[in-house]
Amino acid sequence: MTTGTTVYVVDDDDAVRASIDRLLRSVGHEVVAFPAPQAFLGAPRHARPSCLVLDVRLPFMSGLEFQRDLALRGIDIPIVFITGHGDVPMSVAAMKAGAIEFLTKPFRDQDLIDAVHRGIQLDRQRADAKHVLAEIAARHASLTTREREVMAAVVSGLMNKQIAALLDISEVTVKVHRAQVMRKMGVATLPELVRQADRLGLPKP
Amino acid sequence: MELRYRDASLRTDGVIGLELQPFLVSNTPPTRPQAILAVAIAALLCTATLAAVPFAAIRLEGTEPVLPAYAAGLAVVEIMTAVLLLATLTLSHHRAVTVLAAGYLFSGLLAIPWAVSFPGVFPALGLDVDVQSTATLAAVRRVGLALALLGYALLRLADGPGFGQGQSRASLLGCVLAVAAAAAAVSLVTLSARGGLPSFMANAREVAPLWRYVPATAMTLYALTAAILLATRRSVLDLWVTVVVATLAMELFLLSYVAGGTRLTIGWWTGRVLGLVSASMVLTVLVSQTAILYARLADTTARDRQDREARLTVMEALSASIAHEINQPLSSMVTNAYAALRWLDKPQPHVPEATDALQDIVRDGHRAGRIVEETRGIFRKTGSDRELLDLPAVLDEALDRLRFDVVRGGVRLHVEPFDGPAIVAGNRIQLGQVVCNLVTNALEALRPTVGRERLVTIRCRREGNWAIVSVADNGPGVAQTQASRIFDPFFSTKTDGMGMGLMVCRTVIEAHGGQLWLEPDASAGATFSFRLPVLENGRGGGRE
Repeated sequence: MTTGTTVYVVDDDDAVRASIDRLLRSVGHEVVAFPAPQAFLGAPRHARPSCLVLDVRLPFMSGLEFQRDLALRGIDIPIVFITGHGDVPMSVAAMKAGAIEFLTKPFRDQDLIDAVHRGIQLDRQRADAKHVLAEIAARHASLTTREREVMAAVVSGLMNKQIAALLDISEVTVKVHRAQVMRKMGVATLPELVRQADRLGLPKP
Repeated sequence: MELRYRDASLRTDGVIGLELQPFLVSNTPPTRPQAILAVAIAALLCTATLAAVPFAAIRLEGTEPVLPAYAAGLAVVEIMTAVLLLATLTLSHHRAVTVLAAGYLFSGLLAIPWAVSFPGVFPALGLDVDVQSTATLAAVRRVGLALALLGYALLRLADGPGFGQGQSRASLLGCVLAVAAAAAAVSLVTLSARGGLPSFMANAREVAPLWRYVPATAMTLYALTAAILLATRRSVLDLWVTVVVATLAMELFLLSYVAGGTRLTIGWWTGRVLGLVSASMVLTVLVSQTAILYARLADTTARDRQDREARLTVMEALSASIAHEINQPLSSMVTNAYAALRWLDKPQPHVPEATDALQDIVRDGHRAGRIVEETRGIFRKTGSDRELLDLPAVLDEALDRLRFDVVRGGVRLHVEPFDGPAIVAGNRIQLGQVVCNLVTNALEALRPTVGRERLVTIRCRREGNWAIVSVADNGPGVAQTQASRIFDPFFSTKTDGMGMGLMVCRTVIEAHGGQLWLEPDASAGATFSFRLPVLENGRGGGRE
């Protein structure tokens, strides 16, 4: 029985890695563990909610450096740090760079499970948001050129008459295009349309 | 018999006890360049004296106004010399140095009434002073300083370069007041006398026949002093006092014999200048030696601190790495235990997972145990570095390293050595570290002690096949509540302590087959003792 979530673990200590693997599997996560950051980068990633449990002290590259490296590569995954000798500046640096939690070994099981849970929640939210955005973008792409022009004018707050004058078409034609835009974008009201335009980052006049 | 020794020749053989003492001009032996310099200066002054002889009788009229400047210089130099000599006495008590300081102070103070009463120098003051006053003051001053110098030499001969405790401020102040009172009394009597003073002067310029006895007495005293000092000559101060005596003799030779006692002639003035040079000599030596020794002390202090910091960094790195090594298996053990509980806590307990977790816990427990064992091995590994050591020699070496700390702490270190060799098998550096650590702890414990002597006593004795060394201080001691924890790692009563010192000491001593403990019945202060098994004729033994 799994919850459809994957937790990646990167720790160079075999025993620590195995114990975390065992603990997280007991609460239903699928666990993929690696002894080094390079192995994590080389492995295929599942397209489902996931989280990375990362040791701060690693050979060749510290966990904090790996965190920066991931950000540069555009890999967006919530990170839970674990460390044998955490100090305040180190944890502050990790948290500022967006870490979920900074746990000092040995940690309480619930602390790790909670942190991983929060990480997965965050990843799920991010994935959902990405999914919604992709859908809106697809809908926007299905509009004709004229419909896109009308939509841009509508969300910028122009009246039908003004749009007609701007685009040099009749007001009736504007109304027809406008109805098409609302239908294709899957919205019923003007505020909804404006919000979608915002998400797409359409240029405002 | 308790002999004291100085410099690097630290020895603890047989019945000889040892005292560490500070470096002072009064107990540091002169180096060869210093001796050469002293002889060169004496020769130069002698040449100047002889050069002045042909012109000695020429009178320099109207030179009276220069006299007050000369007298003021003389007074200041001699009083300063006395003050600096007294200052050295607060650290190291020599009766000889006390007498010398008193002599300089007396002489310096009397230079003032001598100049004031000098005929024709202060006409404006309108002092009506007996013509014999100045000469009487000069005679008392000269014979007084000569006696002090002889006293110095004699006490030097009697005491050796001995070193006692520093003298209390009160007794030094008493000495200063007594000398000042004597000088004041002599001044008052001679300045206020109308007749009744010995007739040293025929008139304001020429001496009477009676004066003959003054230089003769002084010369005899100088000769005796020089003879004794040349025979004993132990310290830098002895060397320069010898030169001073020689210069004073030259001065007197010019003043009283070449110039015939006639004042304000070239011979008389040359003699006066020699007197000033002579007075400045000890002052110069004191100031320059103090500066040199201070620089050396500052250098040593800086190096000491570096050493200590380096040692601390190594300790920190070591403990951090040990902590990390142990924390890894500990961490996986805890996580595995949690995991096992969770696998067993399920509606359908998953026994194989729990079993795996428990097996891992067992494995990690052994791994942690191995790390602990290896850490102990860091200390034990030195078994291969063991050699036969004479414990007294190890003690001496360690104490020698601490001599500056002892002086800086204002502490008297008293050592009661073994009555014979005590051969142990061990690591010289580690055992030395233990001694250093215990003595340093004692010194630090004494830091808040004021108003009484700070004393660290090291007692060495044999008991059966054991060699026992105790380090006792007369500081505040160890509180009952702390006594049981004092050997725990990371426990410290010091605000800046790591709390590793005593634990490491105990580990080292135990690795050598001995014990280290805090004496329970110490009435005042703290006493730490350790014992090590002694090898007889280099063979085993020691274990009871």
